[in-house]
Amino acid sequence: MSNQDIIQRFEDLEAGRILGDLDAKEMQEWEDLSKDPRCRLDPSLELVAAAIEAEFSQDEEHEIPDGLLALLREDIEPFIVPEGDEEPTGAEPAEEKPILQLSAWKQVVTAPQTPWAIAALLAILLVANLFIQDKAPAPGAAAAVVATEPSPEEARDIMLASAENLIELDFGGTESYSKMTGKVVWSDELQEGYMTLSNLPVNDPGKKQYQLWIVDPTRDEKPVDGGVFDIPQGEDTAVIRIRNPLVITDPKAFVITLEQPGGVVVSKQQDVVAIAKAS
Amino acid sequence: MANKIPEESDGGILQKVALGIERAMELCIKKYSGLVWAIAKRYVRDHSSAEDVVQETFVELWKSAKRYDPAIATESTFIGMLARRRAIDYARKESRRPQLEPLPDAEALTQLTTEPSVTVSANGEDVRSVIKQLPDETQKIFSFHFEQGMTHPEIAEKTGLPLGTVKTRLRRGLIEARNKLQHLGAAQLSNSARS
Repeated sequence: MSNQDIIQRFEDLEAGRILGDLDAKEMQEWEDLSKDPRCRLDPSLELVAAAIEAEFSQDEEHEIPDGLLALLREDIEPFIVPEGDEEPTGAEPAEEKPILQLSAWKQVVTAPQTPWAIAALLAILLVANLFIQDKAPAPGAAAAVVATEPSPEEARDIMLASAENLIELDFGGTESYSKMTGKVVWSDELQEGYMTLSNLPVNDPGKKQYQLWIVDPTRDEKPVDGGVFDIPQGEDTAVIRIRNPLVITDPKAFVITLEQPGGVVVSKQQDVVAIAKAS
Repeated sequence: MANKIPEESDGGILQKVALGIERAMELCIKKYSGLVWAIAKRYVRDHSSAEDVVQETFVELWKSAKRYDPAIATESTFIGMLARRRAIDYARKESRRPQLEPLPDAEALTQLTTEPSVTVSANGEDVRSVIKQLPDETQKIFSFHFEQGMTHPEIAEKTGLPLGTVKTRLRRGLIEARNKLQHLGAAQLSNSARS
């Protein structure tokens, strides 16, 4: 198969994954190809599927049941920030990457080299320039746009002081990490948790990164991704916020592995670092 | 029309939701709960599970609103994406489609793939226009799948097409729609540059 054939096959399988129609053989093929550097995972197909679905939904009446509406309103309570405590608009926590980043320039780079593409590039530069001019803060205004998100330590302490029914488990290091100690605290209600980790070796993020996995049998038989993190130089004890993209309702164990930079979708568990297990 | 999402709704609500502003969250529920409910019902037949999908989608939205980038997708696309993922996850568990293997964790995938090759900030008119450019049969299959929530075997039975053909046409149709939107986006940018 040529490179182009492989890329096209992966795109076909990716469409199948988004549409939920992969059979077992195709699933295995998708997993194998997703590790191939020629096959770049690209969320654009999923975005298009969602856009089409949203567009089709426009024509229908969708009255949500009153009881459900009331539950949705109740659910927002833990996420409300009291007035005056909001982050300034546009302030983004430095360590948190957007799920999807702007890459319109890629359309231009990958498009055929036609005047259309050149014109598009000029347009992007023009828009970017206008954006910079419009958004540049006035001298002296910098302090007003600095993010004020609490540090992980502060956020953990706030959660410990305010949340009820916390789950607290101790980490134990595996054989190669026997000196490691740590604790995880988790709130089902807030869907928030923190790990306090000591004596974990410093990692080089360019080569390996730590990744947390959450075992929640009520949600899935497979461990759920809890986020990738690093242990920087000079920190004996690190507090790491758990970044779970899925709702966790009954965590039974937290497992730290060492993985390739950026983390993996499914861990081979070749380098299990530590485990915190409910008794 | 109940819960119809107006075109001008994009840009702003999710940014306020990200700041934890209660009234923005309430507005968000008012505007988008119909969309999320429609998607949940399409994929999940059990009423109680469909309600869980809606609740979990909104909890996830409150948590991830700060990651929303209006330059990449409209609010309804972003919310629709969260709802689809959750609903497909539930549908899988419901064994509505027992022939399928478990999907990988879609949320984890997006963390590894942060740069889509095409933005989907196109308005609804663009999306409709692109769908209309697809072959008639693909449009029909799209309607069965995305609008009526029919499974592949149900579509095959309804249309008389072999199951494999339904699968192929849906996949190819999705890829083609993405490519046409990409082309449309590039053309719009070019027109802006020339005007």
